[in-house]
Amino acid sequence: MLLLKLVQSLIKALHSEGTPGQLAAGLALGSILGLTPLWNIHNAIVFALIVVLNVSFAGALLGWALFVPVGFLLDPAFDWIGRTLLLETPALRPLWTALYNAPVVPLTSFNNTVVLGSVVFALALWLPLFFASRWGVVRYRATVAERLKRSALYRMVTASKLYNLYRLFRPEP
Amino acid sequence: MRVAVFRWKALVPLLIFGMVGLGVWLLFADRIATRTAESVGTTLVGAEVEIERVHLDLPHGRVEIRGLTVASPFEALQNLLQADVLVADVDPLPLLEKKVVIDRLTATGLRFGTARATDGRRGTASDGLMGQVNHWGDQLRVPALELVTGKLEVGRLDPAQLNTPRAAAALAARADSARRAWDASLSGLNAAAIADSARRMVEGLRGAKPTDVKLLGDARRTLGQLKQAQDRATALQRSVTTGSAALQAGAAGLADARQRDYAVARGLLKLPGLDAPDIGAALFGSVAVDRFQRALYWVELGRRYMPPGLLPRATPGPRRARRAGETVRFPREHEEPAFLLKTAQLSLQLGAAGAAPPRTYAASVSGVTSDPALYGRPATASAAAPGFRLGALLDHVRPTPRDSAAASLAGVALPSLALPSLPVRLEPGVGTMALSFSVQGDQVRARWTVQAERVRWTRDSSAAAAPSSIGDLVWRVVSGIPAVEVSASLAGTIARPQLAVSSNLDRALAERLRAVAGAEVAAAERRIRAQVDSLVDGHVAPVVAQVTALGGDMTRRLGGQQAQLDDARKALEQRLRDFTRLPGVRLP
Repeated sequence: MLLLKLVQSLIKALHSEGTPGQLAAGLALGSILGLTPLWNIHNAIVFALIVVLNVSFAGALLGWALFVPVGFLLDPAFDWIGRTLLLETPALRPLWTALYNAPVVPLTSFNNTVVLGSVVFALALWLPLFFASRWGVVRYRATVAERLKRSALYRMVTASKLYNLYRLFRPEP
Repeated sequence: MRVAVFRWKALVPLLIFGMVGLGVWLLFADRIATRTAESVGTTLVGAEVEIERVHLDLPHGRVEIRGLTVASPFEALQNLLQADVLVADVDPLPLLEKKVVIDRLTATGLRFGTARATDGRRGTASDGLMGQVNHWGDQLRVPALELVTGKLEVGRLDPAQLNTPRAAAALAARADSARRAWDASLSGLNAAAIADSARRMVEGLRGAKPTDVKLLGDARRTLGQLKQAQDRATALQRSVTTGSAALQAGAAGLADARQRDYAVARGLLKLPGLDAPDIGAALFGSVAVDRFQRALYWVELGRRYMPPGLLPRATPGPRRARRAGETVRFPREHEEPAFLLKTAQLSLQLGAAGAAPPRTYAASVSGVTSDPALYGRPATASAAAPGFRLGALLDHVRPTPRDSAAASLAGVALPSLALPSLPVRLEPGVGTMALSFSVQGDQVRARWTVQAERVRWTRDSSAAAAPSSIGDLVWRVVSGIPAVEVSASLAGTIARPQLAVSSNLDRALAERLRAVAGAEVAAAERRIRAQVDSLVDGHVAPVVAQVTALGGDMTRRLGGQQAQLDDARKALEQRLRDFTRLPGVRLP
């Protein structure tokens, strides 16, 4: 079921009306949801950005789905990054102390090693991921997409009951 | 084509979504708070914390907890405490900084040591802080009265621990080496060949002309070879004599090694001390160490979660599907601590189960905080009622923490005590029990006393100890004693504390035990010596025989060769003297 949803997201995103930039921005924002622990205030902000900014929602869902397992895999690295920044970089200690004693900021759990490490990693990855995915979407649409649409497999999938079921839930343009 | 940056039409759905989210949070806030409090409490205490319900009334800064149960981290089926209702007046503003400041807490219906259906301990006895404390307690445990069980336990004797087989093997190697060296030297003497050559020369001289200077020279050379061979034989004899003496000394040293092995084996005998202080420690040491261990656990827990100073502190992060990581606190002067309980008024019930109805007492706690340096005052706890006193002070304000606690119960039915390894149980009845525990830096000082005027002794038929005549003796001694006074004290550093236990039973029991223990100890020593002999004899006897035989054999063989050389030399010298006595011939 998860795989089916992932394939649906992929098809929906790659073949949507959005520009490659919108799709790439959505995917990059969605990656933040996937890379960082979900139930945190910063992810509410990221979600609000996905909704308010004119980025591909389907791309964001795809980015989220793709990067959740990556987040689990990289948790030890996030822990190390967070520990280094919070405990082993004396120059940053005044900043953390100020943030820790400021209203609301501690509610983001920035002082957790995994949360801070994953957020820093996701933010650092954001721009490279944006440009890479935009280039990838452009190349895909220019080369593979048209050929794929003409392929027997695609026609078979799109003609299947499964695809019809998917179309029932497809958001209107 | 220009693409708009904002999707303004999504603002309304987003707001609706946010409001729905807020509504869901408000709906489930109590449940979330309950689960969070249970999780945090369980992590802190090291045992299951269960809460029936938490109600958050944030507009009024009030939190109500109903049905709190904290399992004991020490006992499997016992609760540390239960409380009917806890009401906390919480300062709402620090909550925005994720800090909890409780101005006042009232707790009613506090009960201690109640039974529970499931094991509420988290982790095993060797994990984390509990493991450290258990390890600390183990070094204080004294051997139980093994003798009283009627058996003196003998540990398993490992042959690798014994010195004698190693010494015997080394001596055998030395003897082999000496034999090889001496054999080579004997062969190198070449005594038979030299003696034969001398005998041939004697024969040659027999019919020779006195003017045969060449023959005379040959005879002198042969005599020289004989003398050299004799010198070498003499040196070898000295070497054999010295070496044999050294080997004999080594063989005699095996007896010393055997004596050392007897001492090693005797160390395996778990002999109890039979002096009065040892008896006291064996009887009540275990119970006292349990009390001290628990006190140390709470002190160490306090030091872990209420550390002195203002340095960043890392604690385990929240449990979740993702890695928990560590959550780091950054306390700053003049700011609120992450947690502060300013005052608490507790209504608690104490009394032994099954005795008179439990009495209700009042207690108060103040200044419990995660950052004592920020709060600037030590945490205190106190309770006082007729026959009951409790006072505790955890001062972590300064860099060197000082923790002390004292509690006493008087006129209350005291819990029964099982004496280790004895089929005897002490029911103290109504009496006085006091415990004081103080840790300053790494120095610990503690005292536990029990006084009971009308005790009852019961034979515990279910005890693990098998019935024995010595067990009967102990029973006869203690069952006639109507009052008990026990005092256990602990002093020294936390790493190396010294335990001393005394009771009014010690002297009476020690004298009777010493009278009957002598024969048991002697028999056990005989058994262990026989065990050593059986392991050692097989190694020692062949080596001693080898050393003895080697000395005799070498002396005999060398003597034979020396005799050959002596005879040949005498014969040659005699022949040469005869040869030089001829008229007109003078030896050059």
